[in-house]
Amino acid sequence: MNFEALIQYISSTPLTWLILTIGSFKLGIIIYEKFNKHTLLQPIIISYVVIMSALFITGISYEEYFKSVEIIHFFLGPATVALALPLYNNLKYIKSLFIPIMITLVIAGVLSILIAVGLLWILDAKLPTILSMTTKSITAPIAIITSEQIGAIPSLAVGFVIITGIIGALLGTAIFKFIKIKHDTSKGFALGLISHGIGTARAVEISEKAAAFSALAMGLCGIFTAVFLPLIIQLFS
Amino acid sequence: MLKGIITLLVFQFLGECITKLFELLVPGPVIGMVLLLIFLMIRKRSFESLDNAVFIHLRYLPLLFIPAAMGIITQADIISKEFWAILISLVLGTIIALAFSAKLMDYLTIKQERKR
Repeated sequence: MNFEALIQYISSTPLTWLILTIGSFKLGIIIYEKFNKHTLLQPIIISYVVIMSALFITGISYEEYFKSVEIIHFFLGPATVALALPLYNNLKYIKSLFIPIMITLVIAGVLSILIAVGLLWILDAKLPTILSMTTKSITAPIAIITSEQIGAIPSLAVGFVIITGIIGALLGTAIFKFIKIKHDTSKGFALGLISHGIGTARAVEISEKAAAFSALAMGLCGIFTAVFLPLIIQLFS
Repeated sequence: MLKGIITLLVFQFLGECITKLFELLVPGPVIGMVLLLIFLMIRKRSFESLDNAVFIHLRYLPLLFIPAAMGIITQADIISKEFWAILISLVLGTIIALAFSAKLMDYLTIKQERKR
């Protein structure tokens, strides 16, 4: 028996990290479903814990890890294209409230970035952090490719996206009650606009209409931000 | 389902080609997404193999961003130095933005209803 060859194989094959990555995500889904899909137990949180512990223990660098699982990363591209279908399926709702949707998308979409960036600026954060915050309200695949485009730090950007999603999903219903929001369509649209997919999962629990408007807002906000943000940042730099 | 997968890849490819050709700043896959949306609007319906291909890509979407997300391990410096700024910006920013967008949408919806 050649243990040395075995260990050599385990530490060099991408399979180790692929199995750990997909396995930890599956474990995350099992735990998430066991606790009635609680917002705080997003499956990816378990992956963070498992994979970061494994990287820490083995001393493998992030670059080496990334190379092993790059094939997973590749699918962000086709997955972004795939977002066109849910957007198309919900596009029929746009006609009934076209003007409110467009005005809210532009004004609230811009304002949400300005507030977060403004707060960071007041609190003396550095430029890479500020840039990474600009994509916090769009769905993670678009946030990753857009943050790469604007010179932000994609991993920070994803972290901000996930936390923004969780905060919105946790507090959304209470906020809407407190400020007396009347229409489910408004609740859904706000959840999708600010808290993307995680917010949309929450909107599903409000009503079917809220879910549709949330998915609509998520798609529109993703496109709107990805198209205009790089332009605006280039103007400033 | 292959037809659906090819459709997604071709639209991404077209999107990337367009951004290169016209030196656009928009990420290629987003252009691909917009093109597929326009294609579906013209065609007026999806097709089964595309539905299936989209389903497998979006069902486990968070899995796809794990490789990028784990890079956070290299950002411990920024996070520890700017922890409070980041936390306050995320919590306050999200609450204000969520309240504002819901209120604005609600206000505009009620206004439009009254007009009719």
